[in-house]
Amino acid sequence: MNQDQVVSELLQFMGRGDGSDGAFDEQALRLFAYQFENSAPFRRFCQQRRRTPRTVRSWRDIPAVPINAFKDLTLSCVAAEAAARVFMTSGTTRGGVRGKSYHPTLEVYDASMQRNFGARFMQGRDRIRIGILFPDSNAMPNSSLAHYLDLALTHFGADGSCNLYPGGTLDLALAMSHLEEAEASGAPYALLGASFSFVHLLDEMGRQGRRFALPPGSRLLDTGGFKGQSRELELDEFYDQLAAGFGVARSDCFNMYGMTELSTQFYDDGNTTCPSVKSGPHWIRTRAVDPLSGIDVPPGETGVLVHCDLAHFNIVTAILTEDAGTIVDGGFVLHGRASGAEAKGCSLAVEEFLQAAGR
Amino acid sequence: MMERAGYLPGLDGANVEYQVLNYTRGDLRVEVEVPALSDEQLVRVINTVRDARERILAPMRTDEIIAVIDAVIGRLLDRDDPFRRKAEELLPAVTGYDAEMVRLGLTDYLKTFRAPDLKRFVSEDFANPGLLDGFEAAPKGGFVRALGPPVLAHVWAGNVPALPLWSLACGLLVKAGNVGKVASAEPLFATWFAQLLAEVEPRLADCLAIVWWAGGDERAEQTVFGQSNVVLAYGGNDALEAIRARVPITTRYLPYGHKLSFAYVGAEALDAQKAWQTAHRGAIDIMRYDQQGCYSPQLFFVERGGGVSAPEYSRYLANELESFEKKHPRRALTLEEAGDVAAWRHREETELLAHPDHELLGSDSGQWTVVHTERADQLRPSGLNRTVRVVAVDEPAQALALLQPYRALLQTAGVALTPERLLPVSDALGRAGVTRICALGNMASPEAGWHHDGRFNLLDLVTMVEVEQSSVVSADALAPYAD
Repeated sequence: MNQDQVVSELLQFMGRGDGSDGAFDEQALRLFAYQFENSAPFRRFCQQRRRTPRTVRSWRDIPAVPINAFKDLTLSCVAAEAAARVFMTSGTTRGGVRGKSYHPTLEVYDASMQRNFGARFMQGRDRIRIGILFPDSNAMPNSSLAHYLDLALTHFGADGSCNLYPGGTLDLALAMSHLEEAEASGAPYALLGASFSFVHLLDEMGRQGRRFALPPGSRLLDTGGFKGQSRELELDEFYDQLAAGFGVARSDCFNMYGMTELSTQFYDDGNTTCPSVKSGPHWIRTRAVDPLSGIDVPPGETGVLVHCDLAHFNIVTAILTEDAGTIVDGGFVLHGRASGAEAKGCSLAVEEFLQAAGR
Repeated sequence: MMERAGYLPGLDGANVEYQVLNYTRGDLRVEVEVPALSDEQLVRVINTVRDARERILAPMRTDEIIAVIDAVIGRLLDRDDPFRRKAEELLPAVTGYDAEMVRLGLTDYLKTFRAPDLKRFVSEDFANPGLLDGFEAAPKGGFVRALGPPVLAHVWAGNVPALPLWSLACGLLVKAGNVGKVASAEPLFATWFAQLLAEVEPRLADCLAIVWWAGGDERAEQTVFGQSNVVLAYGGNDALEAIRARVPITTRYLPYGHKLSFAYVGAEALDAQKAWQTAHRGAIDIMRYDQQGCYSPQLFFVERGGGVSAPEYSRYLANELESFEKKHPRRALTLEEAGDVAAWRHREETELLAHPDHELLGSDSGQWTVVHTERADQLRPSGLNRTVRVVAVDEPAQALALLQPYRALLQTAGVALTPERLLPVSDALGRAGVTRICALGNMASPEAGWHHDGRFNLLDLVTMVEVEQSSVVSADALAPYAD
């Protein structure tokens, strides 16, 4: 299989809408064989785990690459220089080392985003007036989120849609006037962006004593959490404040869960109750595992999430996240990060060790 | 199962609120009630301890106190004693450690607190133990005695069972009034010790208290430290620094931080006959309390040139860890802990792809991991919980060069060396910052009277009172019989 074949197969697979186990497995195994053959670091990783196309029988057997490995390994089936686009993590941990995902083409990424966004957020509507609370791709060329939001604006934005981070910084005055216009227009409006940007906006609205009542059919989409960039809020508090601040019911406040290391996003069906159940389209599947053994935790128990995203075809399909979650009917529930345990003993922990060396 | 922690003299019948901490291990669920005291209650407890210490403990002779501690330890060593039975049952549940490992570790540890050991303990710090009981003639002239603090506050941390016994015994030996704060990770042992002490010697019932507050609680810490004469605390450097800020400048503060310990295996311990034993002993140190102790090895330096090569030694070590996994399985980790160990292991796996001279040995279930490296260029941590890095070296100097940035954090070195090399290598280790050198296999069981982190356990607690020769001479002049 060459890349063109892989891409066209995947686009067909996404379009067919066959969510059966057999169809997913078949596509996953074909991709695994392709990556095993074309990505030397991934092949070595698999061999270390004693997994080869001969021994991998189902998507569950594909060795999940820890997201940290994206910082150390060049995981790509084509030469890194041949990538049309490289998405990078923010590099907030490990001294600014950033995890990279190489995309030789964004055809599959874009198709994945659009199909899924259309179904889950737009829910059949073609276009809606959109405001984006995040820098665009010109300001952040390596941000997958910036690209994702650009796609939303381009393909789903109605007249009057705009990015509220002109030049890469939040323009609060612009945001307020955009919201005022939306409020006055009577037409549904969608505000999309980073969770922490919403907090910055809410803070400004609080200072001005301003609230909005967006027209019926309006909706919000936040993603990414607060990441220390704004005050930290409990989820319930956050959605209460969004609902009160924008006049949008919590059932119309959506949260998107995505990662640089994936080409597909997960959504919930609103946040009437928290934590919400997240799910993705038929080309991505999720397990909850014991991070050390990689084995599925018993049903209903919390484990670390492994996502197998067929749209991430050039890099690796299966990734081991650092997110704790529980598999439930219809998807999974996120519980925060599955690391950073408090030291229980009096032996020097890894973090302290690294700190000491840095002194 | 429900157990109550805390020992609160002066609060009999008072309205004490309790908070419940939950521990689950397999099917066994233990709930421990810990006292959440008000400021006023904390002060009342401390006042009670201070008064009782002044009336009862201070006038007691050191050997009387030794006899009491010995009797308490005797009870805790008796496997039929109800307290011992409770310890064997509940400590594994609370800490998660393998029950048999806890039982063996407890016995090993407790038996270093019998009367002869305690006497050794005292004489390690006091050439003349009589100083603790009254004025003794000083060689320079005059008289001198050692006085323990009226109130000694202990802040215990960590889940190594029975750890509080160390500083509690020290406090009692210098006749201090003891107020100990237990860690949520293991709040029970100190409580039982206090209850047993009161049973064995009811006169001492009010001389110590065991309290609890959520770590870092500013109000409780300021109250207790403000009322104490010496504060002794265990914990990570961040926690210790926060405590320091709350200890009045006039109060002595003795912090014991997290430590880095390691093994050094000489080539002489690696011939075909001895290598298995050397590996077995190394694995014991890794297995004991799953490397949670400050004395637990995080790293193994293994010399090249033995009959068994350094990489082979790593495999021997892996084999021993595998068999310990069957005999004394590692405690079940929380998801966060497992996530941290997994992150460490994944990092090492990634490293492996870049450096073919590394080797990673580990069980598929991730219960233990040995990483072997031939490159002694940079020191990296182990992930604890039975994960260890083995670094091949040619000579001790190579290991010491790597350890140099960690000087302030070093503690124990478990060694396997010939008599000829033992002292020269120990000398080099000591200069590099190591304070305890022991046999491989003994790292997790320090001997009685060990100078914890190289400090004087008892001397650090006392103040010396000196009666100078001049006052003796001038007293003579004032005697009724003076001419």
